[in-house]
Amino acid sequence: MEIRLGSVLLAATLLSGCGWFHRGERPSNQVVVDEPEGEPSIVEPQVKRRVVKVPKIKAKDFEVGAYFGALSIQDFGTNPLYGVRLAYHVSEDIFFEGYLARSKAGTTSLEDELPGITVVSDAGRRFTYYDVDLGYNVLPGEIFLGRGRAFNSQLYVTVGMGDVKFAQKDQFALNFGVGERLVLTDWLAVHLDVRDHIFETDLTGRTKNVDNIEATLGFTTFF
Amino acid sequence: MRRLLALVLMLQAFSVGLVHAKTRLLEVVVSEPFLEMHSGPGRGYPVIYVVGRDEVVTVLYSRTDWFKVRAPRGQEGWARRSELALTKLASGEPAPIPPYPDFAAHRFEVGAGYGVYNRQNLVSAYADYGLTNSIDAEFVVQQALGTLDNRYVTSIGLRHTFIPEWKWFSPTASLGAAFQHIETKEPPAPLQTNNELAYVSLGARGFITKRFMWRADWRHYIVFSNQNAYEDLEEWKFGLAVFF
Repeated sequence: MEIRLGSVLLAATLLSGCGWFHRGERPSNQVVVDEPEGEPSIVEPQVKRRVVKVPKIKAKDFEVGAYFGALSIQDFGTNPLYGVRLAYHVSEDIFFEGYLARSKAGTTSLEDELPGITVVSDAGRRFTYYDVDLGYNVLPGEIFLGRGRAFNSQLYVTVGMGDVKFAQKDQFALNFGVGERLVLTDWLAVHLDVRDHIFETDLTGRTKNVDNIEATLGFTTFF
Repeated sequence: MRRLLALVLMLQAFSVGLVHAKTRLLEVVVSEPFLEMHSGPGRGYPVIYVVGRDEVVTVLYSRTDWFKVRAPRGQEGWARRSELALTKLASGEPAPIPPYPDFAAHRFEVGAGYGVYNRQNLVSAYADYGLTNSIDAEFVVQQALGTLDNRYVTSIGLRHTFIPEWKWFSPTASLGAAFQHIETKEPPAPLQTNNELAYVSLGARGFITKRFMWRADWRHYIVFSNQNAYEDLEEWKFGLAVFF
């Protein structure tokens, strides 16, 4: 028993001595020579660079939507119209916009009075157009609904050109418009527009410029 | 009743899941004395809230020059690009607010314009990719609307800008190939309704404001036909474009 205790004490002393010895040892100042190139190093450094991913900001400069309303086709009555629109906002003032829409013309007063006469064939009554427009937000502002609600709005003017297909003929048409955009939420806006499509035609006899005015209500979303 | 409650709870869980599934939003620290938040994305909209220095602002999305941001206490408003660009990330680096593309070195360009092609009204749209600062590849789609016919013309070509560092006005020249399709409105119909064309052009372009520019172009086309003669066509146009 005594021997065993003694040996344990001896071992403990030796071990602590070792520890002391090691503590006293100073770090060596030896220059570590780099391993020659080409030889694989024994320890691969496991350094991983921390990749910080910065979230991107989503740009919502595009506006897409649909609209419907009434189109007054000169000499052919007022008829329903529906279309789609796509806009790109360049700055807070300027935007580009494209429209595609269709309607169907009614009858002229001549056709109403004299049922035997046809000015335009049935297929030719289809009125379709596309437009490329430049828009300018003239009067930006806010619209208040009661005490607690305010919606951003912009009164804008547009000018552009495009193709009107009527009486189965494509005509070059200019258009001028004025509209109001009411931004209801981050993603939904309501539009009220009045636009005039002007083109030259000889459908009702002599060649003249005709005004085709539309009033529409539209909904768009920003993306 | 219990079923309804279960449904409501399920929907709730679903919506929470959706919120979590959303992408992470950028958070920036205000490093100037304050950051102003306007009620709308425009210069006239009043300042409705001010975020102080060292406060964290969440950037929701951008529209043109303005960024919709959320203040620490939930207020939302619009911050100007130039002011938001002065904020910092949590790490102290400048916030990654994209600057305006440089006019001289921009890459993409999209535009539309009016012109006259073969004495017909022309509606034109184009896209353009800058191969170098002075050489661009351009792709044009246009419709010419006349009294006798209606033509669709597409073209692809290379354009050289002579002095790209001149911002407000710089002459250009280009060379390319085109394709034309003719739809007859009034008889007689042309002998050939589809033609290949080649063109040379002289033009100019200039910067207007921010990302907005103008372009003017005169083109001379040679129409290849199966007849024994070449036909010549003239075109000029003026357009407005946006660059990225």
